[in-house]
Amino acid sequence: MLSRSAFTLWRMIHAVAMYVVVGLALWMIFVYVPSEKGQGLVQRIFYFHVSSTFTMSLAGLVAFVASIIYLWKKAPRWDNIAMSAVEIGTLFCALVLITGSIWARPIWGVWWTWDPPLTLTLVLWLIYVAYLMLRANVQDDTKRARFAAVLAIVGGVDIFLIYLSIRMWRTLHPKPIVIQEGGTTGLPPSMFWTLMVCFVAFLLLFFYLLRERVFLAQSRHDLEIIRQEIDDTLKG
Amino acid sequence: MHKDLNSFTALMSSSKIFIQQVLALLAKDLKTEWRTREIFTSMFVFAVLVVVVFNFAIGADPQVIRKVVSGVVWVALVFAMILGLQRAIQCESEEDCLHGVLLALHDRSALFVAKVIANVLYMLLVAVCVLFLFSIWFGIDLTSCFFALWIVLVLGILGFSFVGTLFSLIVLHTRTREIMLPLLFLPISVPLIIASVYATASLIEGKSLTDITDYLTLMGVFDVVFLVLGLLVFDFVVEE
Repeated sequence: MLSRSAFTLWRMIHAVAMYVVVGLALWMIFVYVPSEKGQGLVQRIFYFHVSSTFTMSLAGLVAFVASIIYLWKKAPRWDNIAMSAVEIGTLFCALVLITGSIWARPIWGVWWTWDPPLTLTLVLWLIYVAYLMLRANVQDDTKRARFAAVLAIVGGVDIFLIYLSIRMWRTLHPKPIVIQEGGTTGLPPSMFWTLMVCFVAFLLLFFYLLRERVFLAQSRHDLEIIRQEIDDTLKG
Repeated sequence: MHKDLNSFTALMSSSKIFIQQVLALLAKDLKTEWRTREIFTSMFVFAVLVVVVFNFAIGADPQVIRKVVSGVVWVALVFAMILGLQRAIQCESEEDCLHGVLLALHDRSALFVAKVIANVLYMLLVAVCVLFLFSIWFGIDLTSCFFALWIVLVLGILGFSFVGTLFSLIVLHTRTREIMLPLLFLPISVPLIIASVYATASLIEGKSLTDITDYLTLMGVFDVVFLVLGLLVFDFVVEE
């Protein structure tokens, strides 16, 4: 465990780095990078969209690993990390769905299609929400942590099966519209670098939010203990 | 050598105890069910109601019905199962029954296995009744694919039972069980819903088992994964 001052310093550095890189990313997206010729202005949302997808998956992975460690070590810290990761994951998952819809409307002509990646993201969002609702509905602290960890592990394993099944389901159905296959390899350098900076910005943002959220959960926990102690002293 | 033999006999006797306890728990559940007939009746009537309501919603056009029949059957079965699981845990939570059962168990996974078997039995019974009614009401011939349909039913119901039983014991400790069970259960069982609906649809269209190997494999993998996962995490679910 870091000492308090080292922790604050590290937190400051992280925050400053995050703000700088996020600022740079915003500048690159809105000023530096040219619009794509075919799609026009709306294509710029793609930088937010792809980076959010990345963060959303990372959040799931963090929650999955932290939950396994929680069940193994039983330290509340890991439960806090898993819970914070899912909260942030839910947010970015929602962003992926919203930015995707905004982009799809002018480009594909529809707000939504039941395409495998879209369907998978939606199911993932539902699992994230179920996780948060489960937490809100269990009163006992240790039980809440244990059940949430079980759900995160089950969901983490299940997501691969969900992906397989959705792909199987879609291949048997005609696609409503033709979807252009866009790979990052074909990107011109300016777009590629903007995307890379966006990735780093979102990564820093994710870990910043995670750190703050875990810190908040930890403080709440400490506060609860102090309250308990005061109650006990007053009674005794 | 002697030590190996000892540990082998210990393993044998512990697995014997395990099977005995599973059978005892199963007998208890089935006996209660036989006396009250509460779970089966509510599941069956509910499934029939879902089918009837769907019939009004989609109209009685035979061609449309043929297209959506497998979806309707599985929706009815899955909803009925959620209802049945809720009833089953309700019985366990009354008078703190679950606590007593857990205290008596040598290995707690026995409870998981027994609950899954009981649930599979109820579900198979409901499925047979619903399919029978379906074939009569909508004039769909199921005899040609009877055997293949059984395989799909068993694989699907097994998977749903693993997931459902695990989550039903989790929601036992939540404030709003009735809402939480479907919220947890449905997104996790997406692969199974897709596979069982489309496998059943293919069979009704007259395809053979070899045409649906993909779906059967997926269901098999799902079942194995969730059996193993269920047994692994079950202790954490029922731990006090």
